[in-house]
Amino acid sequence: MNWTIAGPEIFYFAASLWFLLLSFAPPRKPAADRAHRREYLTAIFLASVGILVCLASIHAQGWLFIRAYSVDVFSQVFKTLLSLGLFLIVSICGHMTDIDDRRHNEFYFLLFVCTLALMLLVSADSLLSIYLSLELSSYSLYILVALRKKQSLGLEAGIKYFLIGSFASAVMLFGMALLYSSSGAAYLPAMAKVLPAMIAHPAVIIGLLFTLSGFFFKLAVFPFHFWAPDTYQGASNQVAAYIATASKVAAIAVIMRVLAFAGHGSAYLVHVLVFLSVVSMTLGNLAAIVQKDIKRLLAFSTIAHSGYVLIGILVLDPAGYSAAIFYALALLAMKFTAFMVVVELAPDGRNLQIEELAGLHKRSPIMALALLVALFSLAGIPPTIGFTGKFLIFTAAIQKGYVWLVIIAMINVVISLYYYLLVIKAAYLLEPAEALPPLVVSFPKKLLAGLSIAAIVVVGFCPYWLIQVAQAAAQPLSLWR
Amino acid sequence: MQMEPASFPFLSAILLSCVVGMLTIMLIPEEKHRLIKQVSVVFSGICLLLTLYVFFAFNRKLGGLQFVEHVSWIPSLGISYFNAVDGFSLPNILLTGIVFFTGVLTMWELNTRVKEYFALYFLMVAGVFGLFMSMDLFFIFVWYDVSLFPMYLLIAVWGTTRKEYGAMKLTLYLLAGSALILPAIILLWAKSGLDTFSFVSLMHPGLFTPEVQKFAFLLLFLGFGILAAVWPLHTWSPDGHVAAPHGVSMVHAGVLMKIGAFGILRVAIMLCPLGWIYWAKFMAVLAVIGIVYGAFVGLMQTDLKYVIGYSSVSHMGVVCLGLSTVTVAGLNGAVFQMFAHGIMTALFFSSVGYIYDRTHTKMIPELGGLSRIMPVASGFFIMAALAGMGLPGLANFWGELVVFLAALKVYPLFGVIAVLGLVVTALFMLRVVQKAFYGPANPRFAGLQDVSLWLGTPRIILAAVLLIVGLCPSLLFNVIRTASVPFMNGLLR
Repeated sequence: MNWTIAGPEIFYFAASLWFLLLSFAPPRKPAADRAHRREYLTAIFLASVGILVCLASIHAQGWLFIRAYSVDVFSQVFKTLLSLGLFLIVSICGHMTDIDDRRHNEFYFLLFVCTLALMLLVSADSLLSIYLSLELSSYSLYILVALRKKQSLGLEAGIKYFLIGSFASAVMLFGMALLYSSSGAAYLPAMAKVLPAMIAHPAVIIGLLFTLSGFFFKLAVFPFHFWAPDTYQGASNQVAAYIATASKVAAIAVIMRVLAFAGHGSAYLVHVLVFLSVVSMTLGNLAAIVQKDIKRLLAFSTIAHSGYVLIGILVLDPAGYSAAIFYALALLAMKFTAFMVVVELAPDGRNLQIEELAGLHKRSPIMALALLVALFSLAGIPPTIGFTGKFLIFTAAIQKGYVWLVIIAMINVVISLYYYLLVIKAAYLLEPAEALPPLVVSFPKKLLAGLSIAAIVVVGFCPYWLIQVAQAAAQPLSLWR
Repeated sequence: MQMEPASFPFLSAILLSCVVGMLTIMLIPEEKHRLIKQVSVVFSGICLLLTLYVFFAFNRKLGGLQFVEHVSWIPSLGISYFNAVDGFSLPNILLTGIVFFTGVLTMWELNTRVKEYFALYFLMVAGVFGLFMSMDLFFIFVWYDVSLFPMYLLIAVWGTTRKEYGAMKLTLYLLAGSALILPAIILLWAKSGLDTFSFVSLMHPGLFTPEVQKFAFLLLFLGFGILAAVWPLHTWSPDGHVAAPHGVSMVHAGVLMKIGAFGILRVAIMLCPLGWIYWAKFMAVLAVIGIVYGAFVGLMQTDLKYVIGYSSVSHMGVVCLGLSTVTVAGLNGAVFQMFAHGIMTALFFSSVGYIYDRTHTKMIPELGGLSRIMPVASGFFIMAALAGMGLPGLANFWGELVVFLAALKVYPLFGVIAVLGLVVTALFMLRVVQKAFYGPANPRFAGLQDVSLWLGTPRIILAAVLLIVGLCPSLLFNVIRTASVPFMNGLLR
């Protein structure tokens, strides 16, 4: 076995071990601030080295564990996205007032473990390795959600997340058993050879759908979306940001991999996916309209976005896959930018209400602009990365004849614009009841905000290079057919 | 189609001067209002000069596409940055340049959040310019949205009457339009099988089956029709006009609504001519209803801006009627009317802006006899009203005349009804002029100053353009003909 191709995994494993060791050290009462600072800088450093490691191994290729684990362009691109996501999230963890003082090392430990698990997930090539890595990531997230200081909020969210998550994974396990018993194979490539011939068999269809439901839970697709608003609301802002970005990216990857190997040839399966996509985006967008809490609003918008992503996946061709990969990147950029503003505006870690944004354009023009750009990008207004992502997905869908699906999605875009505009209105139009002092934003944060804005707009306008990357990443998915 | 490459990228220079203007404004500190306005005037002035150059340097004998710039953008999807002007877009580009410049001058007295206003204003105008000059369907869509979304903030922050309602309604309506346009554009791309969004490659008769053309035309007509305020999709427009600040109303009614009509012409009609012929009668019916409806509703309004808003619905009906005739004359008249109406409404809103800033009212009964106090400021409004009535010698006369002559030939009944609708328009214009500007003067406004030369400049420019084009219509008709004649000839063959 060639262990060098598993460079990113080994690195993140070592990094999480490091934080685990640190967490064993006895807590030092005085100078907690300095300790936090040191832990924060360590985490930032490790996360940025992680990006370099992922970039260095982007051309790696091969198999580990008797082909249960495949390393290809597809998985490496997603690992790079995940490492980028982790870095971004760690970068907004500078002032975690919401996590117990003694638990910061555990927090980073779980964050790194979860990222490691998600990386394993995007490479997993057999049912067993998929299940194991999915559970590993879920369990670290359950704890991360429950880590919030306000015990009741965090615990309630953690338990809800855990209950629905374990239900979904039970369903998934059942589906995997059905798939295994009908195909006699647990490796995706082996299944890809057997399944197309028997795709019409009910056990296979049900097995596939049940298996997918575990991933749908991760992506918050209807009907496995119930946890999202409560968990986002209950988790600390940083953890919610992580769930909304990195965790979604990995879910998109694994759904694509499983469907690309096993999902071809069944019109019935595609109909179900179309239905789930339409319901997810409509439900998410309609429910988001009435939200007062920004994190809840973003949670419902995530549900809607998983509907859009599903369109790209259910097309089941390379154009659709590359569009979905591009959209995963877009989601990472725009969701992160939105959450960064939330974190910055709520330094004490409270849940931000929409009306608290009043007067933001005066208090911090750069944060207001970042929020504006992120929300317009989420709404899919050009020239932003969100628009380019939607455009790619829609071209792929229309080429396969899903004109009406795209029209429904576009109508949803208009609905979503309404609630995004309500947030923008609060930030740019409303004046706070009592004058609030200008927001003090540190220089690195300003730089981060500026870079996020630039990334969203510039990539939206000149996306060619990233489209090529997405196309290259989608290639391994069609090799097996 | 004949293509003449550009010796110098004039069209990109126009776009760049908008974008660079916006970035420069964003770098100036918020408090320096005067500097921001001066920079805005300079950059919009550069834009105007460039558009004037392009307009007069356009070779009227050669026709076709000129000032062509072509750079491959996303090769895998066949998207390219492809700019050019032809006889249809050239008048609109000139119109945008004029309204842009005068719109900056009209807002000279703005005092709140000046920096953000001008930055967003420049962004919006960049989108408008981009749309008129783009020859790539993808970029047409991108520019369409770029020109729309700054609108929400421009209206909601700096607007007046029911501004948040008007802004939200306008944004949602117009983006609902884009929800129809995008699927149609991608559908055309997918059905062509050419893997290109280039307008020139897609414009081949017989490339699309009649069924595709009918379906795509309907989506595109309704999508762009919302922006063109085609009845019954017009309801956003009076509310939006009334709520917007004056400079934005000018661009909005003067130029943005033209984007809708231009989109119908450029994308729907030119790419789906069979769909056009199939739906022409449907278009004509909606257009005539719009003309008559706008006139009658306008008759009942007491708010000066609502009057103009509904007259716009009526006048845009004339454009749509011209497009629905499927004749060279109809197209000529429609494009001419787009230009004339743009200048006229800009003058309307510009003069109302001045009056409102002084009197703080737009209600017609309260204004009574204003021409005794502000003869010059009222004069500009009255001139716009005369143009709106179709007075010979002013630009609108020619647009309406040509459209109605074409319509009377093709749809005699609709033509007659539309002409009657126009009589009502004349009636309500006269009524407004009489009630707001003649009669006894309102003593409340006795001490108000009349418009000074500097503040009057934008109105003088607009009034002069109305007069020049009205006296010398061939200036525009010669340009438009270079596009309409070859297009219709290609269609009939």
